[in-house]
Amino acid sequence: MLYPRIIPCLLVHNKGLVKTTKFKDPKYVGDPINAVKIFNEKEVDELIVVDIDATTKGIMPDYKMIENLAKECRMPLCYGGGIKTVEQAQRIFSLGVEKIAISSAAIENPSIVAAIAERVGNQSVVVVLDVKKKSLSGKYELYTHNGTKATGLDPIFHAIQMQKMGAGEIVINSIDQDGVMKGFDLNLINKIREIISIPLTVLGGAGSLENIGTIVQRYGIIGVAAGSLFVFKGKYRAVLINYPTANEKAALLRQYFLNNSE
Amino acid sequence: MITIVDYGLGNIRAFVNVYSRLNIEIKVAHTAKDLRAATKIILPGVGAFDYAILQLNASGMRDELEIQVLENKVPIMGICVGMQMLAKSSNEGKLPGLGWIDGEVKLFDTTLIPYKTRLPHMGWNNMCPIGNIELFNGFDEQTRFYFLHSYYFVCNREENVISTTEYGIRFASAVNRNNIYGVQFHPEKSHSSGVQLLHNFAKL
Amino acid sequence: MSKEVPVEGRGYQICINCVMDTSDDNIKFDDNGVCDHCHDFENNVKPHWHTDDSGRKALNQIIERIKVEGKGKEFDCILGLSGGVDSSYMLHLAVKEFGLHPLVFHVDGGWNSELAVHNINVLIDKLGVELYTEVINWEEMRDFQLAFFKSGVPHLDIPQDHAFIATLYNFADKYKIKYILNGGNLSTECVQYPMQWFYYGTDMVHNNDIKRKFGTIKMGTYPTSSIFRHKIYLKYFKGIRRVTPLNYVPYVKGDALSFLEKEYGWKAYPQKHFESRFTKFYEGYWLPERFGYDTRRVQFSSLILTGQMTREEAIERLKAPAYDPETIADEFNYIATKLDITPEELRQYFNMPKKFYWDYKNQQNVFRIGAKVLNLIGVEKVKKREQ
Repeated sequence: MLYPRIIPCLLVHNKGLVKTTKFKDPKYVGDPINAVKIFNEKEVDELIVVDIDATTKGIMPDYKMIENLAKECRMPLCYGGGIKTVEQAQRIFSLGVEKIAISSAAIENPSIVAAIAERVGNQSVVVVLDVKKKSLSGKYELYTHNGTKATGLDPIFHAIQMQKMGAGEIVINSIDQDGVMKGFDLNLINKIREIISIPLTVLGGAGSLENIGTIVQRYGIIGVAAGSLFVFKGKYRAVLINYPTANEKAALLRQYFLNNSE
Repeated sequence: MITIVDYGLGNIRAFVNVYSRLNIEIKVAHTAKDLRAATKIILPGVGAFDYAILQLNASGMRDELEIQVLENKVPIMGICVGMQMLAKSSNEGKLPGLGWIDGEVKLFDTTLIPYKTRLPHMGWNNMCPIGNIELFNGFDEQTRFYFLHSYYFVCNREENVISTTEYGIRFASAVNRNNIYGVQFHPEKSHSSGVQLLHNFAKL
Repeated sequence: MSKEVPVEGRGYQICINCVMDTSDDNIKFDDNGVCDHCHDFENNVKPHWHTDDSGRKALNQIIERIKVEGKGKEFDCILGLSGGVDSSYMLHLAVKEFGLHPLVFHVDGGWNSELAVHNINVLIDKLGVELYTEVINWEEMRDFQLAFFKSGVPHLDIPQDHAFIATLYNFADKYKIKYILNGGNLSTECVQYPMQWFYYGTDMVHNNDIKRKFGTIKMGTYPTSSIFRHKIYLKYFKGIRRVTPLNYVPYVKGDALSFLEKEYGWKAYPQKHFESRFTKFYEGYWLPERFGYDTRRVQFSSLILTGQMTREEAIERLKAPAYDPETIADEFNYIATKLDITPEELRQYFNMPKKFYWDYKNQQNVFRIGAKVLNLIGVEKVKKREQ
């Protein structure tokens, strides 16, 4: 039987791993290569690595780092950050990466999704939506450039457009819940889930395995990604890589997934 | 020498990494000549069926591949779209497949899939080996692999199905005829199960 | 295989009691072929090592003092958790048997093995203690480690070791903690590593000389602590004390391993110190293959002297290399990748002429004099290796 995917998400900033809170105040987490190696040894379902500098600084993806990370992954790796052209995407695939994630590029030039998908197949193109709630209206808005640029765009509309363009997967990332570890924004997830039929992965807010369980219980087959939950430990946010063991995962799925269907 | 066909599609690096760590020599074939010393062949693949066939034809390696596999009986394993190419045809495209295993490739009937997100079949799923297959040494119904596809292989001969997986229906997750194998999942991205499978293939 | 390293003019010799040999340059043998490590243990260590009731009584007094002085504070002591068996077992004792409230910290130097991370996780979870971590800036650590490779000396693990010691004392100072629980133990460590293999980690003159000659980036955040700071200032002016609880109770390594596995789901490492991938490579491959220094020799000798291993077993195990021939090529490449150099460059450092601590500036004399003074006033045993 197919199981939902539980996916650690790592952020790279100045060559090192960091963890943010609401996309701000990056806390240093350590060396990316060793972290990826440990996640690989823990046999995680998939891994997402995002370079949060590349787009804001207008720099190229760090191909050497990507190559080194891909070498350590015996599970699908999704890389995002600074990808603007089909050639960049192809080069990254050739380094051993399964999926590429684009965010601002898809907003600036939606046809790039179709262009990349044509070369390598839709399944390899992931579109990330960084979303924040507007303070007054409570409506959601798309942001780019690491949460610094408000686009004025509606994420629902954008998600539908991306699906039409041939995206293989949507990652919905809640800026407000990022690093807060108090649970996912279910309202936001509902809205997106309603209108798309391609695979969805949710990110932002996971504070416990129960939070993951809630998502899986409500949505069944879905990707659940987390950053803080898998790199921090305890109330002092000690940096310690962790991920449910095979037994813990089985227990989680038994409790939240196997007894439910959508 | 294990040889992997690089015709432009598939995660070649990942296979090379796995075999390097196993201390098993692997060569990447870019031309027909590169295939001649092959003792085992891996045919990777991602993306659309027609595009894969076109790429394989354009690579200049197709004829040599047929000689090695059909005449010299070199064991070959197709991965994902690489497995689907072994069929006669695919509903996904218009071009004929290699036709080495009697069957067609069809789109999953989404009405049978009980989830909101139905396609592609993406994520970790288990496989049930049928019979005693050397390629699956050490595996059972709990063994899981990573899948990522929307089309599946329908064998016309039951004996060609060597493992099944459930996704709405029970479909063939691995096929075999003589020296020709195909796996729908991605062993190069399936952690220890995948490494074991690639190891088993090398030791066949 | 553990190399037979002859000393110039001496030829190869191995102790008939333990398995220390002439790869320790300073080793001395008596007429029967028994080495000075064995004599040192019998004469200087064993008589003062009590793990029976008297030992437990002494320990209880220390525990009481810790509790009294720690009353009303969040933490009464501090403990560094590497994920290795000694610190893991000590954490168990501290919480479950002694009823202490340690500040538990871990130093992440960028080389954690999955095993170490797993073990720390299960202990923290099951014991219900809170964890602090100090993540060393990887670019700085990398540059510092690479500087040591370039210097050609054997003691490549100083960057990791020093960071640990400095962090320990920084935390103790910051949280006003008076007692350090140290996992050092005579049971598995009574034989000291030769100075030539492992030089002092806190000789800042030495560290800085190597950094200056071979380092390329400025170390902005890497934690440092001079021997003066923590041996003298923090100890005598701030009253910070180091306690080694594992020396007061019977500590049998095999039993500790089984216990941790059963009680916590803790998993054992192939060899001591292998919780760090770097140390695994360094002690398993680099030291023995480049210098002929096999740390297993020291570790097994300790176990022989404390009755936990027979000499025959040690000899047998030393026949196989300390590294895994199946995975070493891969490990070698990983080390190079992490250091951001090619495997060829790493191989160059492996083959370069050997250097030792005396080839660079050092304060060894100060350390020697200091140790003598502390020994004379009865405060400490002379230690060849800084803990």
